[in-house]
Amino acid sequence: MENLLSYIPLDIALIAENFDRFLYGVWVTLNLTFLSLFLGGLLSIPMAIARASKHRVFNPLVQGYTYVFRGTPLLVQTYLIYYGVGQFEVIRQSFLWDPILSSAWWCALIAFTLNTAAYTTELLRGAIADTPKGEVEAAIATGHSYRSRMRRIILPSAFRRAIPAYSNEVIFMLHGSVIASTITLQDILGVGRWLNGRYYLAYEGFITAALLYFLIVLCITWAFRGFERRYLRHLTRRDAAAQTETSPLPTPERV
Amino acid sequence: MSAPAALKVKDLHKSFGLHEVIKGVSLEAQKGEVIAILGASGSGKSTFLRCINLLETPNSGEVWLAGEQMRMTQNRRGEIVPQDLRQVEAMRARLAMVFQGFNLWSHMTVMENVMEGPLYVQGTPKAQAREKAEALLAKVGLSDRADYYPAHLSGGQQQRVAIARALAMDPDVMLFDEPTSALDPELVGEVLGVMRDLAEEGRTMLVVTHEMGFARDVSTRTVFLHQGEVCEEGPPAELFSNPQTPEFQAFLSRMN
Repeated sequence: MENLLSYIPLDIALIAENFDRFLYGVWVTLNLTFLSLFLGGLLSIPMAIARASKHRVFNPLVQGYTYVFRGTPLLVQTYLIYYGVGQFEVIRQSFLWDPILSSAWWCALIAFTLNTAAYTTELLRGAIADTPKGEVEAAIATGHSYRSRMRRIILPSAFRRAIPAYSNEVIFMLHGSVIASTITLQDILGVGRWLNGRYYLAYEGFITAALLYFLIVLCITWAFRGFERRYLRHLTRRDAAAQTETSPLPTPERV
Repeated sequence: MSAPAALKVKDLHKSFGLHEVIKGVSLEAQKGEVIAILGASGSGKSTFLRCINLLETPNSGEVWLAGEQMRMTQNRRGEIVPQDLRQVEAMRARLAMVFQGFNLWSHMTVMENVMEGPLYVQGTPKAQAREKAEALLAKVGLSDRADYYPAHLSGGQQQRVAIARALAMDPDVMLFDEPTSALDPELVGEVLGVMRDLAEEGRTMLVVTHEMGFARDVSTRTVFLHQGEVCEEGPPAELFSNPQTPEFQAFLSRMN
């Protein structure tokens, strides 16, 4: 083993020595990613309903919001919140400043949440709009109220349809979370950058970071394969239900 | 005074834009009657049925269910809207509908489809809803498919589930909107068989159909719609053997 490792042109010992830092980085990354996905997901549901039902007031408002947040880079959004908001005296004096807007972690969380909420809103809007019209009519004819058919028929059906596309959003968000490292946070890439800055060793830090991201993506893909198998059974052939294909790995990077 | 009709429709009008599809149709169904509604495509028969439970909003006319009128009003823009959505929802729950395209909820199993209305519209306790659903699935001959998803059933089986789902609401009146038109010919029989049983049980049914045999043998009254109006109406034995109008004669000769 020792001999084999000596062929790898990486300072394994250095990585091992700093591995606890990387583990902390994993924790920061997962924390930020999944917390913002959770909060953004919650926000996106009412917004998607407003979009899909073409609400006279909220639809244009939400559309404007998703336009802005999908039309600008996440990096710029994060900078605007982290560097920009503090420029205002009013905000620095307000109660929002001390625990929240002066902290890089909170700024990253807010930026990520708003960003993923915008993408998820549009994704869900499409899934809601794709609900088979006949199924909605059947719910109306059965006597379901608007709320009850939203809750019982439309959303459960839309959530299921959105699963494959949402797995991409989760992976995008994970990769997008590297932006946290540009505003001083020690996420996975943050630790890699620290290692690079401290020892002038690019590969040790960045390859370790890349591998860690890769492992997390593997877990996400694996989890979504399980979700699809469980929640999309009704769309597969009965005999093929055991071997559902999963969505492919994500394509372009959003940073 | 006799009991009010199970369903009464009075002078119903419906237009899509400038095109008037239903030009004042009235209809009364006593409890236990099976009314077959015939007509060429475009005669407005489906639209008429969909106006009864307000899947389409009629431009004018009255719908009464067991003596209770569906109250409509005009909103600020002059559109006809329900006066009380709750009342409409409660009346829809008593007017079960079976669709041409089955329209089962695809993410729910057969059992869940049949239990949905009792559980979430009527508030039936779960055990009771399940018991009832099991009995209804047995009645339509699909007990062994309770855990299947709709996509894993044939069209005929899906339509029988849809009928069980409609029956689960204990409806006062059942509306059938061309229930066999989307089925392969060899699957039509099983659905018509179930509907025949329902008719014999004394269910009140309005059936929009192209199945002449069903209209002739099962319906207590047949209504022929032509261009949005009732053209002929009466007991099927008389109507089929002695069509009065040239329109119905032409329709019958085309169907045979």
